[in-house]
Formats: sequence, C-alpha cells, structure tokens
Amino acid sequence: MHRSLFLFSFLGASTCLAISVIAQERTPPPSTVTITSAASAANNTTDPALATHSSANPAVPPSKDAAAVESALRIEGEKRFRTNCGRCHMAPHKFPPRVMAAAIRHMRVRAALTDEDMRLILHYMTQ
Amino acid sequence: MLFSASYHGDSKPVSAGTASSLCRLVSVLAQQAVGLLLLFGMALGPRLVAQTPVLNEVKPIPLLTGSAGFIATLDSNEPHLGPIVTPVVLVPLGQRWLIETRGDFESDLTQVPGQSGFHGQFQKGVDYAQLDFIANPYITVTVGRFLTPFNIYNERLYPVWIRDLQTDPLILPIGIGPSNASNGAMLRGGFKVHPTFDINYAVYFSTLTTTEYIDSARFAGGRAGIFIPKTRLEFGGSFQHSLQDERSNSFGFHAIWEPFALPLEMRAEYGRSFQGSGYWGEAAYRLSQVPYLQKQLRHTQLVARLQQSFAGESPDTSLFPVDLKMFEFGVNYYVIDGLKATSSYGRQFRSDGNKNVWTLGLTYRFVFPLGDAWR
Repeated sequence: MHRSLFLFSFLGASTCLAISVIAQERTPPPSTVTITSAASAANNTTDPALATHSSANPAVPPSKDAAAVESALRIEGEKRFRTNCGRCHMAPHKFPPRVMAAAIRHMRVRAALTDEDMRLILHYMTQ
Repeated sequence: MLFSASYHGDSKPVSAGTASSLCRLVSVLAQQAVGLLLLFGMALGPRLVAQTPVLNEVKPIPLLTGSAGFIATLDSNEPHLGPIVTPVVLVPLGQRWLIETRGDFESDLTQVPGQSGFHGQFQKGVDYAQLDFIANPYITVTVGRFLTPFNIYNERLYPVWIRDLQTDPLILPIGIGPSNASNGAMLRGGFKVHPTFDINYAVYFSTLTTTEYIDSARFAGGRAGIFIPKTRLEFGGSFQHSLQDERSNSFGFHAIWEPFALPLEMRAEYGRSFQGSGYWGEAAYRLSQVPYLQKQLRHTQLVARLQQSFAGESPDTSLFPVDLKMFEFGVNYYVIDGLKATSSYGRQFRSDGNKNVWTLGLTYRFVFPLGDAWR
C-alpha cells in the first residue's frame, strides 16, 4: 500500500511537471509576454504618450516608445514586488542594483518566484 | 527557538523479510524518481534558458545578510533571555548558480538557583549550506544541506525579522526532520501555468546524517502550491515519507491570503504525522488605515495566533507530551526598514496545567555587500 502510494505520488508529480514544461514551451517566453502585456496596458491608457507603443505610429519618435515600455515595465514590476514580497515579509526598501540582483536570486530559490516575476521585480528595484 | 522540539530518529534494526524488502524498494524508487527529475531538468535547461531574453544585465555581488535579535521571554514566571544571530552568506556565480548558507548562533539564558545573573549554553548550527543551479525558468536544482520544504513556516517565515510572533508554532517540528534541515538533493521552482495562477513545487530526498550540527533524517517528499496573484491567495500541500525507523508518512496543508483592500496577512498550516498533529492560524493587521495618529500607527502591527496540537499515538515518539491549545496576541512596531520591536502574550491550555508566555524583543535584518555594490 505504502509502496504504491509513494510510487504514484512521484510518478504523478513527474508527469505534472513534464506536462507543465511542455505546455510552457508552446507559449511565448515570459519576458515577451510581459513586454507585450505591459505595452498593451500602455496602449489602453488615455495618456497619448503611452498609447502609441504598439500602434506603429511613424510620427512618434522611438524614444517615446521606449519610455512608454519602460514606464509600463516599472509599473508591472512594482505590482509584482508588492504582490510577491509581501506574502512573507514587509517589502524592503531599495538596495543598490548589484545587491538587489543577488537578493532576488536568493528569493527566487527560497520563495519559488517565477522567472518573469524575478526579472520584473529586479527591473523595478534597480531603477 | 522557543517551543521547538526536534525529532532525532534512532535507527532501529529492521525486521527481516517483506518489510525490509519493501522499504528498500521504496527507497530505490524514491532515488530513481529524483534522479529522473534531475535528468529531466538538466536536459531541458539550456533550450529553455535560451528562449528567455535577459531583461537586466546587473551583475550580482556576494552578500552578507541575515538577522539578529534579542528576545526576552517569561515562560510560566521563569525568565529567559535569548540572543540570536543568523548570518546568511550569498555567493552568486555566473548567471545561474548560487551558493547560500545560513548559520545559527543563539543561546537560552536562564537564572540558576544560588547564582546571580543569567546562565546558559551557546548553541550553534548550520541551518543550510546549499548550491543552487537555476537550470531553466521552471526548475532549480539544489544540492547540499537545505531547509526541509514541508509546509511554509520553516522555509519562509522562520527568521526572527520575518516572523510576526517570536514563538514557534507548536507543529513546526512536524515533517522537517532533526535541526529543521535535510542533507541531499532537491528540485524546486515556480512558474505560470495559466494567466491567473502560478504553481510552485519542491521535491527532495534527504539522507541520514548523524554528525553534530548538520544532522538529518532519511526521507523523501514534496510540496506543491498554487498562487493566485490577483487575489494574493496561496495554498498548497506537503507530503513526506520517512525511509527509516517507522517508515511513516507525514502530510500538511498551508494557506496565505493578503486581501488587497486591507493591510492584513492571514496564514495557516495543518500538519499530521505519527508523532502528532495540529494546526495554527495567524492574522496580522497593520494599522496604516487608521485615521488617527498616522505617523505612529502606520508602523504598528497587531497579530493574533490560535493553534492546537495533538499528541501522537505513542508517548515515546510523540512530539507533544499532551494535547495543547494556545492563543497568542502580539504588537509589533517597525522602527525603520529591518528594525522591529516585538511583544506578545500567550496563554497555553494543557491537561497538565495552563501557563502564560510573554515575549519582548528587538529584531534587526542586516545586508552588507561584499564588494563594490554600485559598479
């Protein structure tokens, strides 16, 4: 009974993991998703400077496009920071970029942050 | 820490025959399963990493971080002084490697009859010393000594600067092995499987180690959780199978919820093993929305915890001598980022007599870069 339970638990976990990874391989990479969603958020805004990102408007200079994406990434990063870090502890103040890069790698392992969350939080915390 | 009870499993001779063969088979199967998962992670690693563009090119730096605290406790009118320092060293290597280790230096000082002042022994240990390899966005491989991922308190809420109440939950010893850690290998990770929720998991195998300061038991297990960012709700379960002594199973459940509308944290755990069972639920409310005395109250947090534990079937192996019920109430004041003043009152109800537990303390989290942090 114990042997079967144990075996099926591990086989089940392995199968779930395999299916998840295969499913993820068919979706766009996390950063692309983030940038797309961040850009679409920028596009939905009433701010004309942010609403031009994915409209391919030739009249808008590329620097404005970059600023809009940057702004959207920062907002998304802050949101992920509040959502994830606050689950266990008070969200800390910002640290120097290289300190934050080490700390976020530690937290990725410790708190099982997703790759996307880690990158966006690091981006926000190093601005 | 307070109220923690460690289980040091004695290796008994196994009765010959079917039971022994069965246990060996389970052990082999567990090792093979972990091995397969390791191979799986390694094989997919480079391909998946190549798909993920790097958003930040910040080079991480080694860190000395951790926490220090001084907790005074009045337990049934017996005073205890508890200085504690838990330094953490982080050494990132390249893009995907991390060496991390945490030491634990603490003492429980008490008054000795006939002597003045407080006396006690200095205790030290290695909480974890592990090498992490981020194989791909879904799998991190860990080898070495690591905190046993059974429920969430041991791994995520244990440090004195994080915990809202300085006393350990009664059921903390369930499923985490001796000295709260395992020596072996682990696969873990977190990833989005659907736009509305993430999954996190950990599967591990631990070997029997009897060396002082780094002891561990022989077991295998796993934990899986679902996190819903939109509601800030996380819940999950843990399972562990012991591969020594009674060959018993342990399981647990955990949940965390932080509603967006309130500065409130709610956490709960349930654990069950042959050594005993129990649960705890905790709520912490930050007074940042109170319209009066904003300057002071926004740093203040009220905490309450209710917990209950039930003794195991055999008194020899039970983690708890009797059934216990405990209610605690605490007030924390966050002086600055990382520095916290903490206090609590708890009432323990037990069949052999009730008692009060008071705590008062100061905790601090420190971070020192070991190099130029700005370059």
